[in-house]
Amino acid sequence: MKTYNFAALLVGVPLLMAFSIPLFGFISKQLAKWITVLTLTFEFLFSLYILLWHVYPFNVIMGNWVPPFGENLYIGSLATILIVVISFVGLMISIYNLWSAKYGDVVHFALLFLMFVGGSIGLISTGDIFNVFIFMEITGISSYALAAYGPERRALGGAFKYLVISSIGSTLYLFGVLLIYTQLGTLNIAEIAARISQTTPGLLTFAGILLVAGLAVEAELFPFNGWVPDTYTGAINPVSATLSGIGSVGGVYVLIRIVMTVFGKNGNFVSTYGNLDLMTLIAILGTATVVIGELSALVQTNIKKMLAYSSMAQMGLVAMAFSIGSRLGAYAGIFQLINHSIAKAMLFLILGVIVSFGGERVEDMKGLWYKSPFLAVTFTIGALSLLGLPLFGGFWSKFALVDASFQRGGWYDFIMAIVLFASVVEAFYYLKVVGYIFTSKPAVSEKIKVEISPAIPIAAFAILIIAIGIFPQIVSGISYSAAHELTDKMSGYVLNVIPTIVGH
Amino acid sequence: MIDFLQNWIYLTGAMALVGIGLYIVLTNTNILRIIVGLNIVDSGTNLFIVTIAWHPKSVMPIYTATNNLVVDGHVVAADPLPQSLVLTAIVIGLGTTALALAIAVKIYQKYGTLDVRKIKEEDK
Repeated sequence: MKTYNFAALLVGVPLLMAFSIPLFGFISKQLAKWITVLTLTFEFLFSLYILLWHVYPFNVIMGNWVPPFGENLYIGSLATILIVVISFVGLMISIYNLWSAKYGDVVHFALLFLMFVGGSIGLISTGDIFNVFIFMEITGISSYALAAYGPERRALGGAFKYLVISSIGSTLYLFGVLLIYTQLGTLNIAEIAARISQTTPGLLTFAGILLVAGLAVEAELFPFNGWVPDTYTGAINPVSATLSGIGSVGGVYVLIRIVMTVFGKNGNFVSTYGNLDLMTLIAILGTATVVIGELSALVQTNIKKMLAYSSMAQMGLVAMAFSIGSRLGAYAGIFQLINHSIAKAMLFLILGVIVSFGGERVEDMKGLWYKSPFLAVTFTIGALSLLGLPLFGGFWSKFALVDASFQRGGWYDFIMAIVLFASVVEAFYYLKVVGYIFTSKPAVSEKIKVEISPAIPIAAFAILIIAIGIFPQIVSGISYSAAHELTDKMSGYVLNVIPTIVGH
Repeated sequence: MIDFLQNWIYLTGAMALVGIGLYIVLTNTNILRIIVGLNIVDSGTNLFIVTIAWHPKSVMPIYTATNNLVVDGHVVAADPLPQSLVLTAIVIGLGTTALALAIAVKIYQKYGTLDVRKIKEEDK
């Protein structure tokens, strides 16, 4: 067990800077925005240091209270790569916000944004099942306020819907946590994972359903994702990018950590304790999410709503990939999560620039190539990556997903059919938009002038997508070792946190 | 562990509160009533958390000369951890309610109504 207490800064610095932003806001509004950029640059460089110098896996143990007696942060390979992705996406969106946050209470917008990113990083790194609830509420409360921000009144309806569903979800999650606590008397994820077989099966099943129901709200799985279209459409574009690029990563991470590490059994294929197989439940929910999300996206005329439904469907693909239960499946899920996070955040940012010059219907994309070649090419890159064309990032994750379901065999062949179905439907609606962009003549021949601060993040995302497409090694190596952390719960996770514990 | 079935009446009460709250959230169309429903769900969860820490024969979890925490090899002290958890849960519930009310005020200013169905119609 390695200890590296400096990494507590990963969670501490954004939260500290978030609450001191109003002080900087007294001096100037621009300074408040630059503070977010500086803080997230620090986050990104520090997490990149942890990744490249191979500092992970380690624990953060403050005050020498070793787990399971004290609270700890555990940053393994999975948490490292996800923190790198989150802080990169957050940094890019904060650079974009230098341009886009012009009206209203800019200072408090910067505060909420930084709090959201800090909360997501805490959500991913914490090793305590109750702290997960606290970080869920930190990200939750800041994202409700972010979603309500903006000049349009439809944002309020979406934010309220999100608030109601998400706060009920986190209450259900708390209920599940407490049911497990009555059985085991501990809140440490590693100790719960090691002793999960000592619980009463009936109560464990009930607790598992409550936990999955609570976490599926953030992970955008089918019966709990009614908020997605309204909130994404209502919110301003950088907020939609934040929710789909950062919020869903945290949600999926916790869901998978609970289902695969806490409830999982060691073995080639992860299966679960209790009367009900949670992995099968996730597979069913994921399949339903993909089918419903893709078919809903197909008929949308509002491009923002189309992206929202597509985001839902992609999260379904991620959940399905994890539910295969093998190492290759977990690898495909992590890879797909990263690809989706980058590509969908980029599409929302591009849409933000386009919307500031015109409407957001699909017809408004007509002739974008003649208005702004830069936006047209980057939008095409993002769309092609999402539908999984070779030479773009999304191809490798979908390929691994098909490969994993083929190797598992049995009824998991069904997943292969769903993935191919999803790709065809995605090709249909994304290529429709791409066709409008390149072939139609624009209604008004007014040029779109892209300023430097929105251009930097869009270009960086586009270059990253192509880089992953050509050299998948930059993500796939760490993703594959992260998959080991999920499928082999004792040697991958539990023994790294509590070396002396005996599994049951 | 704690023999928590002795408090079945409180547990039933907690479950009933959660059920009532969910029913209110799902069936009402007025935003203020939905917020009240959320609060009732929160109260049910908080009652549940307090209940699992306590049973009728438990003593306070502080060791003194006359207060024995262990009797005949059984821990009789109340569990202090959930009581500290419930504080966090109460504060978070308060924050969510305050934010929900702030959004409700904004909705009333922009739409002139608090009925969810009318808001949906106006957005079309």
